[in-house]
Amino acid sequence: MHEMALMAGVFDIIKQYTTDLEESRVTKVTLVVGEMTNAVPEALQSAFAVYSAGTVVEGAELLIREIPLTAECMSCGWAGKTEKHLFICPQCSSLGLELKTGRELYLESLEVE
Amino acid sequence: MEIKINTGILSSNDQTAVENKKVFDQTGLFVINMMGSPGAGKTTVLEKAIDILVDSVQVAVIEGDIYTSKDAQRIEKHGVPVKQINTGGACHLEAKMISRVLAEFNLAATQLLIIENVGNLVCPVEFNLGEDIKIAVLSITEGDDKPLKYPLLFRESGAVILNKVDLVDYTDVNMDVLRRDIIRINPGIQIFEVSARTGRGIGEWVQWLLEKVKEKKIRLPKNRVFL
Ligand SMILES: Nc1nc2c(ncn2[C@@H]2O[C@H](COP(=O)(O)OP(=O)(O)OP(=O)(O)O)[C@@H](O)[C@H]2O)c(=O)[nH]1
Ligand SMILES: [Mg+2]
Ligand SMILES: [Zn+2]
Repeated sequence: MHEMALMAGVFDIIKQYTTDLEESRVTKVTLVVGEMTNAVPEALQSAFAVYSAGTVVEGAELLIREIPLTAECMSCGWAGKTEKHLFICPQCSSLGLELKTGRELYLESLEVE
Repeated sequence: MEIKINTGILSSNDQTAVENKKVFDQTGLFVINMMGSPGAGKTTVLEKAIDILVDSVQVAVIEGDIYTSKDAQRIEKHGVPVKQINTGGACHLEAKMISRVLAEFNLAATQLLIIENVGNLVCPVEFNLGEDIKIAVLSITEGDDKPLKYPLLFRESGAVILNKVDLVDYTDVNMDVLRRDIIRINPGIQIFEVSARTGRGIGEWVQWLLEKVKEKKIRLPKNRVFL
């Protein structure tokens, strides 16, 4: 359950942006999480609840924007969603698929009031 | 008010990993990060491999474990420097845990540093340590469905060791399916079929590893010139 460690990273970043913000509260945190990361949204939500308690983030909404795994074929030009993490082209069966999206794992924005 | 951030959640670990890599690259030290389920046979494979490796290169080992130092004690018997890192509950090693123990090794006199990560198919993969290559260890007794269920490890690894092939007749594992799925997840991956019990296939993996160690050393003088 490394989502706790991931959330520690999220809160390190949040802290850098909120130390100067007196009297304000964070109301929404948006994370972008690709399909091919080992981060489970439900586990991230639980970790978020633990880390936000007693901070300016307490009570904020955690929005997780999930990004599908997509790839492009270097042989025939096919582009689309990669099913079951198999990097095999559904059009020409080539194994030369290049990953386009799905490895994202970042803190996109904060909503502060 | 919305504040745009766009910072990677793992950026702090990634930064430390880059610093570790700089230390390794200075002397051309080749570093591998071994990952796989608890009991896949990581330590046993290493014990067998080290006995061959020590004839050609200086090896050092970092053992990651949640609480115990049992694996480090096993490695120590093979006469190579080894440091235990206890994560105290965490399911993976992080780059800063590695940087803290580096001073305890004579890195300049070492050509190959092997890191055995905490036994886990999921968590360690996202945490770069500064290694040159990730190596997955999967025992065939875990089943041929594992690559599809845990694709990221196989996608990110440069090689996979399919261990315990001595047990192939006692399981329903389909080796063709296993190999096919691994290649579909990562066409560039090297697959080694080994038995750490009988020693079968260990020599092939060691040869491949020695080749990598040599390649990194050869690149070194060039880097130095351009510094
Ligand atoms: N039959 C057979 N048994 C093996 C083989 N390799 C390892 N084992 C056994 O599998 C068990 C686990 O091996 P370890 O080397 O401790 O596994 P590990 O991956 O290091 O485990 P953790 O560090 O706890 O994650 C031990 O009982 C080994 O003797 C093999 O090739 N064949
Ligand atoms: Mg072990
Ligand atoms: Zn194609």
